[in-house]
Amino acid sequence: MTAGVQATETGTGISSSSPAIHLDAFEGPLDVLLHLIREQKMDIFDIPIASLTGQYLEILDAQQPLDLEFAGDYLVMASALTQIKSRMLLPRPELGEDGEAIDPRAELVAQLLAYEQYRTAAEEMNEYARLGRDIFTRSIFPEASEVDRPLPEPDLDGLLLAFRQVLKRVGGEVRHHVFMDTMSVRKQMILVLERLKKGGMLLEELLDRPGREVIVITFLALLELWREQAITVVQEVCFGSISILPKERA
Amino acid sequence: MSLPLRIEAVIFASDSPVSTRKLRDLVEDAASADIRQALAELQTHYSERGIRLREVAGGWQFRSAPEFANIVRQLWKTRPPKLSRSMLETLAIIAYRQPATRAEIEALRGVKVSSSMVAALQDRGWIKVLGRKEVPGRPHLYGTGKAFLVDFGLNTLGDLPDITELMDHDEIKTITENKKTEAAEESETLET
Repeated sequence: MTAGVQATETGTGISSSSPAIHLDAFEGPLDVLLHLIREQKMDIFDIPIASLTGQYLEILDAQQPLDLEFAGDYLVMASALTQIKSRMLLPRPELGEDGEAIDPRAELVAQLLAYEQYRTAAEEMNEYARLGRDIFTRSIFPEASEVDRPLPEPDLDGLLLAFRQVLKRVGGEVRHHVFMDTMSVRKQMILVLERLKKGGMLLEELLDRPGREVIVITFLALLELWREQAITVVQEVCFGSISILPKERA
Repeated sequence: MSLPLRIEAVIFASDSPVSTRKLRDLVEDAASADIRQALAELQTHYSERGIRLREVAGGWQFRSAPEFANIVRQLWKTRPPKLSRSMLETLAIIAYRQPATRAEIEALRGVKVSSSMVAALQDRGWIKVLGRKEVPGRPHLYGTGKAFLVDFGLNTLGDLPDITELMDHDEIKTITENKKTEAAEESETLET
């Protein structure tokens, strides 16, 4: 597929014989595109989009197997490039508010230029003489810890930094969990059946455990058992005591 | 007693950069102008030595000269880890564009910014959360921390070299699709 694209392109001076490019060496799709543009001295303000897209797809194709998680951003760029390419092919240019034709490549170019600046800034930053790598200061010697030194002035920055280090040492996030030993109706049903094995019991007897939660859960358990016809509930006289009887299952 | 000598002793004995204010507190009888003059003298004196007097993060510190890095480094077994390009690029974007959200950094780099990398930068104290951006999701706004200045040998953020043509904000706006991007020189967030 990409070979066809390549064949239709002329004058870019690149062929598929160029050495294999590994995405690992790049910091993302913009990095790859800049590499291609700068290496072939393309005019960034007049990018030969068909050629660039072809080469980009070729690089992507060469990555086997393609790790989707890793390649996601690259694939998004591939579709963006393809879309720009197709918009370039449209006979009528789109017009902006001021009646000027919109170059479909404009946004990509802006993105590339912006990225290139920061890429350069990052390279420069790496060249600064860095403390601990190029430049050293006197550090405290262990025996000096005996010296009574004034406490450092507290600031939020320092506190957060110290806290992060503690978290790191502890190994990840520290959370305080509050557990509540909740009772389940199902467990209580089993318990009630257990107690009823010896024979029928009065409702008051079953509700003998202290605590509102226990009473409510036990009551719910009784209702549930009754509904499932696992027990029989008998009240002989009005306002009389209620007996709970186990039901013999056939 | 000579002012430069007293100041020299204080800076030498301190294990962190000493601010001019601190120096003024310690040598009570001297005027700020005299202290500045003394510091300049010391700086000149040390400019040809194995250690240099440098102003970093608003304080003064003696530091070994970078040309002897290879020798000094051998004092310790461990070498400082190399910084990845993604880390450096993220740091550069935050340093120049602060405050910046993760989405803005991702838009500029064209790739996802991993949480572990942000955490690594925070661990070094190079970046910190400045606040939240009042847009949906209230994302964190990142800026550089004091350790960034100390470790990269900068006095203020103004010492960062100018980027040849600092971002055209309309262009960035198109990319990030953010309604509002602050001016590049967010003076209120710059540390003094």
